[in-house]
Amino acid sequence: MSCSDEHCITCGDQGIPMRVESVSDPGEATCLDRDEQEHTVITELVEPVNPGDEVLVHAGVAIGRI
Amino acid sequence: MKFVDEFRDAQLGRVLTAEILAAVEPGHHYKVMEVCGGHTHSIYKYGLADVLPEEVELVHGPGCPVCVIPMGRIDDGIAISRHERVIFACFGDMMRVPGSEYTLLEAKAQGSDIRMVYSPLDALRIARENPDREVVFFAIGFETTAPSTALTLKRAKQEGIANFSCVCNHVTIVPPLRALLESPDLRLDGFIGPGHVCTVVGARPFNFIPADYGKPVVISGFEPLDILQSVLMILRQLGEGRCAVENQYTRVVPQEGNLRALEVLAEVFELRPHFEWRGLGFISNSALKLNDAYADFDAELRFETPGVRVADPKACQCGEVLKGVIKPWECKVFGTACTPEHAIGTCMVSPEGACAAYYNFGRFSRERAAV
Repeated sequence: MSCSDEHCITCGDQGIPMRVESVSDPGEATCLDRDEQEHTVITELVEPVNPGDEVLVHAGVAIGRI
Repeated sequence: MKFVDEFRDAQLGRVLTAEILAAVEPGHHYKVMEVCGGHTHSIYKYGLADVLPEEVELVHGPGCPVCVIPMGRIDDGIAISRHERVIFACFGDMMRVPGSEYTLLEAKAQGSDIRMVYSPLDALRIARENPDREVVFFAIGFETTAPSTALTLKRAKQEGIANFSCVCNHVTIVPPLRALLESPDLRLDGFIGPGHVCTVVGARPFNFIPADYGKPVVISGFEPLDILQSVLMILRQLGEGRCAVENQYTRVVPQEGNLRALEVLAEVFELRPHFEWRGLGFISNSALKLNDAYADFDAELRFETPGVRVADPKACQCGEVLKGVIKPWECKVFGTACTPEHAIGTCMVSPEGACAAYYNFGRFSRERAAV
């Protein structure tokens, strides 16, 4: 993602909706953004999460469920 | 993508704009402030200001974390980055924010080891990989990003990573809103509330706006239909002669916020008595610092910094833009001396900044209207 794309994440303060793809270590999940790009996301603030759940990610951390 | 595409439906957008037009009282001019820079970005990107009736004016608020950073804090960051063993990590936008003499990008060109990261967790990874270096993360953001910094610091403490520290510039949104509402030069009718901040803090912190100032607040999502629906909800409150905090963004924002995130914030941070906001001056209890339990990770205690207050450049009117007193194009240097490539003011740096959003998306429609 870049500033000219859907959302800019370079300032870290832009929320990105992502879909949980798989749950790996405790408190972490692999998530897909709108462009199907994979991200490792900390999910300990919104647990429990399961594959298919939609989460809102800020600066690498899920802060809410959608 | 689910929860995104359906909120960009053009036909529904036309229905909403017709309902907004019907809700406008003839002869009344409405000033509605979108608090969050994410909303400003969406408003210009999707041309929402163009589809609203001319009686509805959207005013841009102070909710872009990059825009409100004062120059003195950049100078402090640059001073730390010049220590010999330091790797200085920050979000990309911060690198282009002007300090009194240089940007972090220029300091990098002069030899400082400054690296762009997407998350504070990336900075912690750099610290793990470079045990012989001091890794300093320049933390910015509202209550949305602060949990990420807090979790990173908790991990650093749990893992005993002693070569990691943080310059904390995290700010909170309620105190500047109160300062704006007390400002005599701004007459606002309502607020589009910051949806993602509310995901963390909930709706309750905004109750003072209707209770003390008699203005409606609608917590809003960031897709175009979210924002149009929020404008409609504000107009309906005004038309019915009532004011309350309403939640348009129910698919994400729980009324009570994210209690686990609030616990983590309380575990790591405490309020600063005073913090300077660009354009707004010093505001009490408006920012966070590391508390005593995390003082070992406080870069401001670990390194000497100038800590000097620096006045904004005279030509720059970011302060008035941040307060919604003037529009971006009314600034004397907008689009001429100040552009995204060579920003004088912070509002031109981040894509969430009102000037950059307007420069990138809005100016063409205004140029067309002038022709």
